[in-house]
Amino acid sequence: MMKFIGKNMDRLDGVDKVTGAGTFATDITAPGMLYGKILRSPHPHARIVKIDTSEAEKLPGVKAVIHHGNVPNNPFNTAAPMYTTVPYLKPVLDQLIFCEKARYVGDEVAAVAATSEKIAEAACKLIKVEYEVLPAVLGIEEAMAADAPDIHPPEITPEGKNIVAEIIRIPPGPPSDALQKGFDEADVIIEEEFRTNVQKQCQMENMAALAIVKPDGSITVHCTTQTPHPTKAILAKAFGVPASKIRVTNPPYVGGGFGSRIGLSGKSEVVAVALSMATKKPVKVVYTRKEDFTATDTRHASIVNVKLGAKKDGTFVALDLKGYTNTGAYCTFGAELPGVLGAMTLAIYNIPAIRYYGHSVYTNRTPAGAMRGFGNPQGNFALERVVDMMAEKLGMDAKELREKNIAKAGDPWFLPYPCSSSELAECIRKCAKSIGWERRGNLNKDSSHIKRGLGMAVGTHVSNAWPFCVDYDNAYVAIQSDGSVNLSVGCCDMGTGISTSLPQVCAEALGVKWEDLTITFADTASTPFTIGNHASRGAYAQGTAVKAAAEDAKQQVLDYAARLFKVSPEALTIEDSIIKPVEAKDKGVTVVDPTTLPGAIEEAAAAPVPPPRDHKIVKPVNTQGPQKGISLEGLAYYAHIRNKQFIGVGRTIPPNAPPWHCVAAEVEVDTKLGTVEVIKMAAAHDVGTAINPKIVEGQIEGGVVQGIGYALSEEILYDSKGRQAHTSFSAYMVPTAEDVPEIDTFIVEGSDQSGPYGAKGAGECGLVCPASAIANAVANALDVKVNELPMTAERVYELINNH
Amino acid sequence: MKKITVNFTLNGDAVEVSCEPDKMLVDVLRENLFLTGTKIGCREGECGACTVIINGDAVNSCLIPAAKVMGKEIQTIEGVADKGKLHPIQAAFIEKGAVQCGFCAPGIIMSAKALLDKNRTPDRGEIREAIAGNICRCTGYVKIEDAIRHAVRVLNEKSARGGEK
Repeated sequence: MMKFIGKNMDRLDGVDKVTGAGTFATDITAPGMLYGKILRSPHPHARIVKIDTSEAEKLPGVKAVIHHGNVPNNPFNTAAPMYTTVPYLKPVLDQLIFCEKARYVGDEVAAVAATSEKIAEAACKLIKVEYEVLPAVLGIEEAMAADAPDIHPPEITPEGKNIVAEIIRIPPGPPSDALQKGFDEADVIIEEEFRTNVQKQCQMENMAALAIVKPDGSITVHCTTQTPHPTKAILAKAFGVPASKIRVTNPPYVGGGFGSRIGLSGKSEVVAVALSMATKKPVKVVYTRKEDFTATDTRHASIVNVKLGAKKDGTFVALDLKGYTNTGAYCTFGAELPGVLGAMTLAIYNIPAIRYYGHSVYTNRTPAGAMRGFGNPQGNFALERVVDMMAEKLGMDAKELREKNIAKAGDPWFLPYPCSSSELAECIRKCAKSIGWERRGNLNKDSSHIKRGLGMAVGTHVSNAWPFCVDYDNAYVAIQSDGSVNLSVGCCDMGTGISTSLPQVCAEALGVKWEDLTITFADTASTPFTIGNHASRGAYAQGTAVKAAAEDAKQQVLDYAARLFKVSPEALTIEDSIIKPVEAKDKGVTVVDPTTLPGAIEEAAAAPVPPPRDHKIVKPVNTQGPQKGISLEGLAYYAHIRNKQFIGVGRTIPPNAPPWHCVAAEVEVDTKLGTVEVIKMAAAHDVGTAINPKIVEGQIEGGVVQGIGYALSEEILYDSKGRQAHTSFSAYMVPTAEDVPEIDTFIVEGSDQSGPYGAKGAGECGLVCPASAIANAVANALDVKVNELPMTAERVYELINNH
Repeated sequence: MKKITVNFTLNGDAVEVSCEPDKMLVDVLRENLFLTGTKIGCREGECGACTVIINGDAVNSCLIPAAKVMGKEIQTIEGVADKGKLHPIQAAFIEKGAVQCGFCAPGIIMSAKALLDKNRTPDRGEIREAIAGNICRCTGYVKIEDAIRHAVRVLNEKSARGGEK
């Protein structure tokens, strides 16, 4: 029986956050602090001919004006792949602190440090920049055309015009004829093209960094990054300073992330550090919401082509997938993301002949990077639409067609880690029951202009970033001399609850009381190397390292205690911070002073000066039982005064494991207006063991609602001048409390041997399938093809009227 | 700009602040009074992270110039717990898992408190309307709504027992 795993422990950060006592990067100040503001390009593509900062420098209160002419110009990448790109791919280093050529509206041109934000802003307006405007391209096809301008020098795009990094091919190597043979066996082939537009993470806390560069050269950065350790490495390279001089920390909370700050938080860290170096004072840079919309990573817009072949009985025989993603002006995750798009889409079904070809494309848009789901929602929407179309063509039920073809645990597949577990079939059953799937096809009267529809989608994802990125963590578990336990791990808690879930893993593995445990996290100065939080990896990958560290510490404690008990270490256990014989488990023990144990008495007898028998420092534990136990506090102190310590190290790397999910949706479409209302969503997730089910449910619900936004209302479009048309919460429509339908959430626990206590990834999964399910429901309601997201009223109206 | 002196009641205490008349209340709270529990998400009155209660109403403090709060009674997230004891709304947010990143939480708790201070029997629509101006990007609002409903029950049980009003 587990005490902490699977339990709805209240979040350790709960009180801090509901009382306003918890601090975020935007809340932190430092003595003598200045404020930084950034001047951004008004043009989507323009060479900077001249920058005149003289007027800005004259403004009272201005302490420094910086631009590409007076800062380090070491090429870097704002995103973690600068430091986590795996062999034999090359990290793309296509950014500088300030551009010499602006590549999108919002590109960083210069920055000012001043005594107030207002003065810094006013000074930015006084900087005179002469631009030579260049032709710009915004769309994927446009940017790949032979006559398109090169957004980066050709050495950055060796595979072709504006193509980012390497083209991804699954399976690797040149195409074989296996795929064509697969399609030759098909009775029905469906080929379709799908488009998705730009979604924005819209985490509630804007990008923020407070940089403190001290006279001794040390650099401390309090910021909103999801990955403190890789961010430290990026800053070291960008400024050409030793990494040992840099400390990166969350303070300790981060107001959401959803992928927008894996690596740097926009350019807030580099600009704050550069301004602090220039002024020799702490400088804080906080982005505005408009800057967040225009100048920080978005989700990739995409074009996905699907060709699916099936036999008459519904067996899928061949799948050919192509994915093109619009990475905007700079490559943050543009190299890795098309790989995940392809891999996760190909992995859902067991299909003998598969092929994927995909890559990102540079355009003059805001850089697109990681957003929850990481390419998977784009591919999932395309394939799951085609599966529904295939069902219709075959005259089969779409649910049954899925059930027939889904990959099952143990199936061989193309990924370099096993398909080790799957409860997808159970997820499908749960969703079908909840949504009332049997009603599908019998929901509408011809006379009504309101049409109802049901839709379903299934998918998988990852539990860490391997093999797409470097993926490992370290953790320390120290049993302190006072018997308290400190878990140290460099994770970031951007809201996912990882700073509660990891202590749950630690407490379970070690056998200590909840209140005996503390966690140190999100600080490169006090935690061992940890990749950080992205790729749904926290509970799975960091959990594995934490469990290993706790087990290591526990073994040290038991080895030491065994000498005192005069038994073998295997005969002892730790429960509720009491070390006791295994056979006394779940029974009361009498807690005694360690010095009264036989091994201790022998040791004392042999000592030249006998130690005191009772130190009176260790607080007594009032329990009773036939057997003797000792408190962890008692042992830790006994050990402490004998110079003995217990520190566990965790460095176990799990291989990756597939979480699975099914989402079903019921929608109502007003055919006169084109508006779509979601009536109900059901989401069933196989996340392995849910370490904290309340937290996992919250992840699923949050993902589903972001998915409703992705399906229906969220997009950033561009005007004819290459400017973002949606730059505020009044233009970009995220769901509010009034937009949320009934949501039925199910956790289906398919324990996976590779994860800590069977846990798999959960964080991103909630957002993979909702839009696909809603699109299938809309198509079901209207009997039309839905090939583009989001399904705004305008697009749906078009679908109805041009049908 | 010439500074003015503004007097108001903050979480039960009389305060006096000297600032520019167009300085927004949220900045007065965070910069002059060091109360950073009130958050800034947009500065345009569109996200609700800066919600405080002024004379009983939930308002976006990023839209209220300091000059406008003279003589007003203001409550912020820091004044919601009673001598260290969590308010039932705060306790419910923790118990029901309504907090994730926590950046929107102070604002949403203030919106919910403004509602429950006036209406102890809100229906689902009234609860949703009260927090419709607060964006939460993490939770999908499910557990937030759940927490507010739970707080309503707790508050009413306390009233029935003759405890807190």
